[in-house]
Amino acid sequence: MRTLVTTIMIVVGLGLMIISYTALATPTCNVSVECSDPRVAFAAGIFVLGILTAFSSAIFYSVYKGAE
Amino acid sequence: MTTGTAISQAPSGNDNGPPAELPQEIGRLSPKWILFFGVMTAITAVGVYAYLLQVNNGLIVTGLRGLGTMAGATWGLYVAYYVYFIGVSFAGITVAALIRIFRIEKLEPVARIGELLTVVSLILGALAILADLEHPWRAIVNLLKYGRPQSPFFGTFTMVIAGYLFASLVYLYLTSRRDAAILSERDSKYRGMYRFFAAGWEDTEEQRRIDRRVTFWLAVTILPMLVIAHSTVGFVFGLQAGRPGWFGALQAPGFVVLAGVSGIGNLIMLAAIVRVVTKTKSRITLDAFSWLGKLLLGLVVTYLYFTAVEILTITYQPGSAEQGLSEALLTGVYSPIFWISVASLVFAAALLLWQAIMRRWSIRLVFVASLLVTIGSVGKRYLIVVPSQTHGQLLPYATGTYTPNWVEFAIVFALFALGALMIGVFMKVFPIVPLEEVETT
Repeated sequence: MRTLVTTIMIVVGLGLMIISYTALATPTCNVSVECSDPRVAFAAGIFVLGILTAFSSAIFYSVYKGAE
Repeated sequence: MTTGTAISQAPSGNDNGPPAELPQEIGRLSPKWILFFGVMTAITAVGVYAYLLQVNNGLIVTGLRGLGTMAGATWGLYVAYYVYFIGVSFAGITVAALIRIFRIEKLEPVARIGELLTVVSLILGALAILADLEHPWRAIVNLLKYGRPQSPFFGTFTMVIAGYLFASLVYLYLTSRRDAAILSERDSKYRGMYRFFAAGWEDTEEQRRIDRRVTFWLAVTILPMLVIAHSTVGFVFGLQAGRPGWFGALQAPGFVVLAGVSGIGNLIMLAAIVRVVTKTKSRITLDAFSWLGKLLLGLVVTYLYFTAVEILTITYQPGSAEQGLSEALLTGVYSPIFWISVASLVFAAALLLWQAIMRRWSIRLVFVASLLVTIGSVGKRYLIVVPSQTHGQLLPYATGTYTPNWVEFAIVFALFALGALMIGVFMKVFPIVPLEEVETT
């Protein structure tokens, strides 16, 4: 359980980071005005959420009291 | 043999009094501490007043002015100290990595000081950059809403402020649970808080194995984040092609190394103060300072090499803007700050090198060297930020000037005072030096 939930949290966190990063105006789109804003609003916020989720997994792994 | 845990009992402040309830003077406020908290609160209050003045009237109340037509600098003391505070954050995770990955256990007593320094300096760095903005609330929302990866500010915001700070907080928390659990068994006014933070920590082999594993992988994960974060701050300057003195490949590695210099320097100074204040001289020994001194020596020498390469390169650049900038740095208006900074770093390196060669380390000399590198690194941060704006014009504008005024100084001093308050409060509620473990039969 401990390992499973921790792994899920890391995967979800990394997933949020990757998805939000690619959902932003990516580095391949530099010249068009359409690329001025991210494709999805608050994508940077989602990226931060991904970081928080991934690192929170360490707290869960350490604090969880149930059986492995 | 069963393994139990006991903690070293710090002596009471009063030699004739009862034994201390909590170690390291926790929970006890001497007149000196009350004076310290009072002075720091007063300095912080003056800074808050100056900041409110700035928020109400705009940055016109500061010495900051527009580039070019206003012949000023838009980034000044706030940005210089933002870079400085982010640099200081280098200390915590570096020490953690040295302990967990390279197993240098002599640094264990200063680990929490480093972790706390990292968290506090990252908070101060975030506040310093907010102080530079006329409408900070807009920046907070817009960074979340419109942040783009092309901008180095995206990395600064996501990696440094969010990721690095949060990861460091997690690390600080997880490495503190054991001490919280031990202290929660003692009758004190903080017992509930310790119990909450301990979150059920029990001294079992399984828990210790989990802690070792988690802290190791956290250190491994945060270490590359540290390099990325400090490089990203360097990219804020290094990727600006239109600004002589900033654009260059050395900015990112230079920022990482200078961060190390100021981070380890600040850690040494704080550790030297903590060992006296908390009466833990037997815990934070010369061994820790000699290790940190050697690390600081390597970083200072590397940074001096970077500085020499940078200066040599800039003097060979053909453009008039670059030449004007190098003249301003070496012989012009910024030369006093430049040469004082370089001299501080050289003298500090010599002081550390002499101790390394003689194989005789002194805490006082390492402290003096750390003070010197702090002076040098503050000066270098100022020189990275300001001269390229006042003397690095590619367009035909007049040479600019920038002189920080009392509002900026008040806010910067308030940031230092706030940091001192945060560390002081921490020391009064939690052991800043990890509790000593004694094997009992």
